Amino acid sequence: MAGKSSSTPATYAPSVSGQKKRRPLIQADSDWVRPDGRSFHQCRPAFLRTGAVNSASGSAYAEFGNTKVIVSVFGPRESKKAMMYSDTGRLNCNVTYTTFATPLRGQPPETKDLSSMLHKALEGAIILKSFPKTTVDVFALVLESGGSDLPVITTCASLALADAGIMLYDMVASVSVSCLGKNLLIDPVSEEESYQDGSLVITCMPSRNEVTQMTVTGEWSTPKIHEAMQLCLDACSKLGKIMRSCLKDAASVPQD
Amino acid sequence: MAATGGPNDLSSEMELDAFRRLFPLRFHERHLTESIRPDGRPLGKARETTLALGAVASAHGSALAKIGCTTMLAAIKMEVMTPTVETPDEGGIAIDFHMPPICSPLVRPGRPAELAPVISKQLSDTILSSGMIDLKELCLVSGKAAWMAYLDIYCLDADGALFDAALLSAVAAFSHLQIPVVSLNDDGRVVLVSEDNTVAMKEKEPVNKERIKLTLNNIPFSLTCVLHKNYILADPTSEEESIMETFLTVVLDSSFQLVSLNKPGGPGLAHTSAIQDCIKLTRQRVKELQKILNEAISDMEVD
Repeated sequence: MAGKSSSTPATYAPSVSGQKKRRPLIQADSDWVRPDGRSFHQCRPAFLRTGAVNSASGSAYAEFGNTKVIVSVFGPRESKKAMMYSDTGRLNCNVTYTTFATPLRGQPPETKDLSSMLHKALEGAIILKSFPKTTVDVFALVLESGGSDLPVITTCASLALADAGIMLYDMVASVSVSCLGKNLLIDPVSEEESYQDGSLVITCMPSRNEVTQMTVTGEWSTPKIHEAMQLCLDACSKLGKIMRSCLKDAASVPQD
Repeated sequence: MAATGGPNDLSSEMELDAFRRLFPLRFHERHLTESIRPDGRPLGKARETTLALGAVASAHGSALAKIGCTTMLAAIKMEVMTPTVETPDEGGIAIDFHMPPICSPLVRPGRPAELAPVISKQLSDTILSSGMIDLKELCLVSGKAAWMAYLDIYCLDADGALFDAALLSAVAAFSHLQIPVVSLNDDGRVVLVSEDNTVAMKEKEPVNKERIKLTLNNIPFSLTCVLHKNYILADPTSEEESIMETFLTVVLDSSFQLVSLNKPGGPGLAHTSAIQDCIKLTRQRVKELQKILNEAISDMEVD
C-alpha cells in the first residue's frame, strides 16, 4: 500500500521504440506461421489439474500456453441474507485478473462482462435443483493472460465444479476461433486476437452434444461461420476427453 | 475449559471428525499434551516448503512459494519514474498483497479481506527496513529516471502463516528479478533495448548494461508461532490460527540479525523466555529457508 498513495510518482513501462505491431498480410502469403509455430487448426497444449486450492470445496488449474487460470468453487453454502427464497440453487461467478496478468501492469479487460459470460456459460450445465436455497460460488483468477481467456476460464470452472461434486448434466468445454482474412485460427493467442476480424466462441457439453453458449463478434460470412462452428465443436469434444481423463486421474490417485 | 478429565471422555465415544469440529480446542490440547499436532508434526517444526522461480512469464521477476497448503505467487514488474527531488538517485518499491476470493471461503468478492492490508503494510515495512535492497541500484539517470519495482503478491490458497509465505515469495521474486536493459531516447524517455532491434539503437548506449541483477544483502526470513499456554507451535495452519489466537512473528535476516518482532495482541501474554524460544526456532527456520532459496536459484541457473 505504501507506494499507492497520492505521492507516488507517475510511472510508465518502457517500450521498444521504432517497432510497431503490424497486422501480418495473411491473404498475401499462405505460409504465414502463427507466433507460437502452430498450424491454423491446432490448439495449444492443455494442462489441467484439479485440487489446486485446498481450502475450497473444489478447484482446478488450467494452463493453455501462456494463459494460466485458477478457479475455486465454494459451496453450496448459505445464500446472502438479502436474497429472496428460491427453490433452485443460485450460481455466483466472479472473474478477476492479477495486476501482472497483462503486458501493461494493471490494465485488465472488463471483468464484469467476463463474470456474466461465465455465469451464462455454466448455468445451463448445472443441476440447480439439486441445491435449493443455497449458492454455489465460482471464483476465477487469471494469473496470466495469453489469449482465449474466457474459453479457458469456462473450461477450468467446469472442471472445478466437477471437482467440488456439484451435480452437472455434463461438463462444459469451451473453444474460440479467430477469423483473420481468409483463415480461421483456433485457440488464438493475445497477439492474434488483437488483429482479428472476428471471433467465435462456443461452449458446449460434449457428451450431450448441446451448446450452452455461442458468441459471434465481428465480420463473418455464413459458410465461414459453419466451418468455424464445426472446428470449435470438434475441438470441444477433444477437450472434453482431456477433462474427463484429468478427473479420472485425480480420482484414481488415493487421496489422504 | 478443563483440558483433561471430567466429561471430556466423550472423545472415546464420538467419531474423531465430529469431536474435532465440536470441541476444536480440546481436540488440539489433547494432541499438545502428547507433543504432536493433528497433521503429525512436532510442535516446533514448520510444514514442507517449496519454491519455484519464474512462474509468471509476463513479469520481470516472479516466484511461487508453498508452505504446506498455503500458496503465494509474487511477481515484479519494473516501470520507470522520475525520482523525487529529495532522493534524486533512488528508485522505489511498491508492495501490495492481495487476497482474491479464490484463496479462502472467508473472502467474498467486493468485500476485501481485513487481513490483506495488514500483511501488505507488514511486508513493505519489513522489506524496506531490512536493507535487503539498495534503492540506489534502481537509479537509471540521476534526477531524471529511476526504476519503480511493483511487487504484487497473490495468496492463492490461505492455510495459515500467510505472512511467512508472502515474505518468502517476495524475496524469491527479487532474487529472480531480471531488470530489462534500457536506453534513453532523444525525447528523454526510457526505451527498451532488444537484441533484434540493434540497428535503430546503435547510437544509443544502454544505460544499465551491468545492472541486470540486484544485489541482495541481508535477506529477511520469518517464522510465525502460535503461543498457547506453555506451548509454542511453529508455522500454524489456518485451523490452528482460528482456535489459538496469540501469534508472534519473528523476522531475522540471513546473518541472524533481528529485523522485526511482532505480537499483535491476542489473549495470551508472552514471557521473555517464550519470545527467546520463538527466536531460537526462527534461527533454525532461517537456515532451512536459506537452503531452499539457494536450491531454487541454482535450479533456475541450470535451466
